[in-house]
Amino acid sequence: MTKPQSPPRRLIGQGMMRVDGDGKVRGTTRYLNDLAYRGLLHGAVVRSPVPRGLLKGITPDPDYDWSGITFVTAADIPGINVVHMHDRTMPLLAELGGEIRYRGEPVGVVAARTPERAAAAAAHIRLDIEVLPPLLTLQEAVAVFKARPGAFDSMKDQSIVKGDLARGFAEADDVLEAEYWAGHQEQLYLENQGLIVFPQKDGSILVEGSIQCPYFPVHELNDPLQLPPEKIRVRQTPIGGAFGGKEDYPTMLTGYAALPALKSGRPVKITYERNEDILFTPKRHPVWVRYKTGFKKDGTLTAIECDFLLDGGAYLTLSDVVMFRGILHCALAYRCDNVTIRGRVARTNSMPCGAFRGFGAPQAIWGLESHLDAIAARLGKPPHLYRLQVHARPGDVTPTGQVLSGENGSTACLKLALQRADFARKLKRCSRGRLRRGQAKWYGIGLAFFGHGAAFTGDGEAKFKAKGRVELTRLADGRPGIDIRVSSTEMGQGVHTVFTQIAADALSLDPGRIRFPLADTGLTPNSGPTVASRTTMVVGNVVHRAALDLKRQIESFASRRHFKGAAVELRRSQLVAPGRPPLPFARVARDMLAELGGASGFFQFELPPETKWDQQAFVGDSYPGYSWSANIAEIEIDPLTCEIDVKRVTAVLDIGRVINPVTASGQVEGGLTQALGYALLEKIGTGRNGLYDAARLQTYIIPTARDIPEFDVQFVEYPYTFAPPGAKGLGELPMDGLAPAIANAVEAATGRRIRTLPITPEAIFAALHPAQGAPAS
Amino acid sequence: MKITETIDIRFPKTLAEALRLQAGEKTRGQLLAGGTDLMVQWASGAPTPERATSIWNLPELDAIEIFDDFIEVGAGVTHAFLRDAAPIHRHLPALVAAAATIGAAQIQARGTLGGNAANASPAGDTAPALLVSGGSVLLASRSGTRTVPLDRFWTAYRRIDAQPDEIIVAFRLPRKGSARERFRKIGTRRAQAISKVMAASRIRIVKGRVTSAAIALGSIAPTPVRLSAVESLLVGQKLTPALIDEAEQLAQATVQPIDDIRSSADYRRWASGRLVRDALENL
Ligand SMILES: Cc1cc2nc3c(=O)[nH]c(=O)nc-3n(C[C@H](O)[C@H](O)[C@H](O)COP(=O)(O)OP(=O)(O)OC[C@H]3O[C@@H](n4cnc5c(N)ncnc54)[C@H](O)[C@@H]3O)c2cc1C
Repeated sequence: MTKPQSPPRRLIGQGMMRVDGDGKVRGTTRYLNDLAYRGLLHGAVVRSPVPRGLLKGITPDPDYDWSGITFVTAADIPGINVVHMHDRTMPLLAELGGEIRYRGEPVGVVAARTPERAAAAAAHIRLDIEVLPPLLTLQEAVAVFKARPGAFDSMKDQSIVKGDLARGFAEADDVLEAEYWAGHQEQLYLENQGLIVFPQKDGSILVEGSIQCPYFPVHELNDPLQLPPEKIRVRQTPIGGAFGGKEDYPTMLTGYAALPALKSGRPVKITYERNEDILFTPKRHPVWVRYKTGFKKDGTLTAIECDFLLDGGAYLTLSDVVMFRGILHCALAYRCDNVTIRGRVARTNSMPCGAFRGFGAPQAIWGLESHLDAIAARLGKPPHLYRLQVHARPGDVTPTGQVLSGENGSTACLKLALQRADFARKLKRCSRGRLRRGQAKWYGIGLAFFGHGAAFTGDGEAKFKAKGRVELTRLADGRPGIDIRVSSTEMGQGVHTVFTQIAADALSLDPGRIRFPLADTGLTPNSGPTVASRTTMVVGNVVHRAALDLKRQIESFASRRHFKGAAVELRRSQLVAPGRPPLPFARVARDMLAELGGASGFFQFELPPETKWDQQAFVGDSYPGYSWSANIAEIEIDPLTCEIDVKRVTAVLDIGRVINPVTASGQVEGGLTQALGYALLEKIGTGRNGLYDAARLQTYIIPTARDIPEFDVQFVEYPYTFAPPGAKGLGELPMDGLAPAIANAVEAATGRRIRTLPITPEAIFAALHPAQGAPAS
Repeated sequence: MKITETIDIRFPKTLAEALRLQAGEKTRGQLLAGGTDLMVQWASGAPTPERATSIWNLPELDAIEIFDDFIEVGAGVTHAFLRDAAPIHRHLPALVAAAATIGAAQIQARGTLGGNAANASPAGDTAPALLVSGGSVLLASRSGTRTVPLDRFWTAYRRIDAQPDEIIVAFRLPRKGSARERFRKIGTRRAQAISKVMAASRIRIVKGRVTSAAIALGSIAPTPVRLSAVESLLVGQKLTPALIDEAEQLAQATVQPIDDIRSSADYRRWASGRLVRDALENL
């Protein structure tokens, strides 16, 4: 494939203002709940009050006034009662006579004129359930896994094998084994879940809502709704945050709203209040990971054996792919010839877990980066020198046999972070549980180093072939401009701005003439879901190439129509040909719109032809490219109370070409803050009744502005040259490594290693006083 | 859940008018000060009252007066006002420090001292500071006024010694004089945080010996509590490291906290002693 000639870069690399910023800052952006419609019904989901049981009966209270109310159960599903997801096992609504598998599992949907009436009616549906004993948590599942592996219920197994593990352990001078745990994490987007389903006269449906992946409902509900993809049209409303939380779940919500909409013939809206959103939508998968590692006296890792177990909840949904990404990161960042990783997705009687920024990688990196520090300690090597010794770099072979190219800035990230944080010197000042002279608090510094596979796993991008268009059109002011037509959604991360920069540079046009309409599956080609840190890297390339395609069309039109066949170039909003006066773009574009009605550049993404991936064996090129990062956390712990104060975080990242350094740094600081919450604050347990114990913002504790440390964020650029402008993944990377960096700092400060997230003052206290405090789980 | 019922909110202009509204058993409404507790309770499904009486901005409740021995803080005084009222800082530093930890700026601007006390949450941050002052609560009703010592005011979990027709008018809080005060809160995070444990203390030392000691904790029992055993241990003694160790351990042996969503009983018990140590080491 020949690489296109890049135009002179103007906007790429600059901190252009957010194109969607004005409306969001002024509050004029209209989110779903700002839109008023006439004749809406409001839906309320009827949920199972028990985590497991047989559904024997569903009876609307005969004494209740049901006039004007639409009630649907599984019996109203036109087709097969299943949401496709990845294994076609999850019913859209629990089936009469079938098994209820989690607390809150939808049994029916009530729709009424007001949300209050719907909620009241939902409370008048009587469920007859024969209660069965549940298995609620990952702790219980792991206990089964350890004691009776045969009885362990795994929804998906996958292994990665490299070299010969037995030989690796035979070569080792020492072996270290440990287990690491982390619980659920809630995405906590500002705008709760919500959407409206409008039934259409032709039997199709139109869906509007806060939907991260507009094409998912189009392709996941064909069986239950008996509607082909072209009869499910999804229009995105502005999204008030998603973080993965609006990836899989809106599909289910679309199903819940579609049933009463189809039955009543009226549009049905479902929006959740915060409580319902926290209690009954998917979260990050809890993890249990066990590492057993063999190493020589000189530190060489000879064997890595890893069991990686995620709590998938009651149904697989997309947990297989989360687990895949997890195991692909369990030993990615270090040199080792003999690796065996076994991934499993445990089935529990809880809400299915779903997508959340990082998608399995933070869980893997949490274990690996904690464990690597423990190995360094065993070897008596400082953690940074040990990482410099064994980290993966260009030319190394990953656990799946992929050779890392020269476009991996792993070493540069590590070195720059160590230097900027002055790590080596500060490491010597760490308290290790003893106050030095002049210290009132224990001080600790901790490092984590990691890579993140960018874009879909394996041959996902090759199969998917992301498509996009860049169109010449008339804008609202009547003058010509450009529409970017890709299904990537803006949810706060800045994609509208970044793609505007890419298109403006490719076309050599003023960004003010470029528009990025919200995704509408009726109009927008499928460039894929906005997930997997793939958008700027893969879809950015689609936009770039489609824009170049359009540019060529404009130039050849101008050549023909205005320049008598001379070679013409679109440069800085003008069409120029040697020896002739230039013509403004607007003039040529107007002629083009008048004569041709418009023009459209198109591109379809492909991976390099030499990419190889064996999905069965998990061998080959597991990702098109890798981003890298080193995080360093500096903390203080008050010996008086065990309260933890993160003072400073240094993050150096290789995300390939940085399109917009301001929005990129913003992403990093936001992601690090989310990771800080995961590390220290965000804790949610499950009661015996199967309900989460933290159902409100009062009890689910996320960081406030006061909890945020000082950040030092730096980029080193090793662009992905195959796909200009050469970005790699950014979105998830900042979520990946701060938790283990903090755990490592806690160890340096207190002399105790905490192996369960979040690391609360209670957990540190328990670690320091094993007799008094039972270890917090 | 949304607030869908209509609540008839009355806005009396004077305390007398408010007391009149509160007197009738049938027509009495729920008192609404800053609303920062009530609005949350109503929105999260607590039964909403038919009526409420706003006492926000009632002039009789809004003043802080400095007398020779004590300070009278109106029940309607906000945490922000307390936080910024420089003249009382040296007289009631623990209370001021407590007020400054409540929620964040927005809640401090609206939440009142009377509301914090009347809401009677074990995690109410001002309660331990009020307790160690040794002061009292001034209550008014149509039939007159009465005074309740603060250490008898919180009678049980979320219960106070006040009748439904009574309004807290003010808190009469002895100035600390030569004593030292300290307040420290261990919250769930650094702002907008509910306390896991918090402690206030007022300790006077004359010629190296403790002459009086008041230490109170919150969030470790159904009500805010004074640590009277620790207080008696200290009085008359020299504050040696050994005595501080003993006080810490006695505090830990005395309290009987519980596990809940915010913390563990073990941690709370340990931290109770640690906060006592903190108070004694920072005199
Ligand atoms: C986001 C947030 C953060 C918070 N953070 C904290 C915190 O950190 N620490 C803390 O302690 N609290 C906190 N609170 C709780 C609350 O802000 C305080 O308790 C506040 O002081 C309540 O005062 P108010 O005037 O708003 O009370 P209201 O809500 O108006 O009333 C509370 C109760 O007191 C009664 N009442 C009010 N005034 C009187 C009176 N004069 N006489 C008799 N009864 C009366 C009311 O009838 C009601 O029962 C927080 C609340 C929110 C919403």
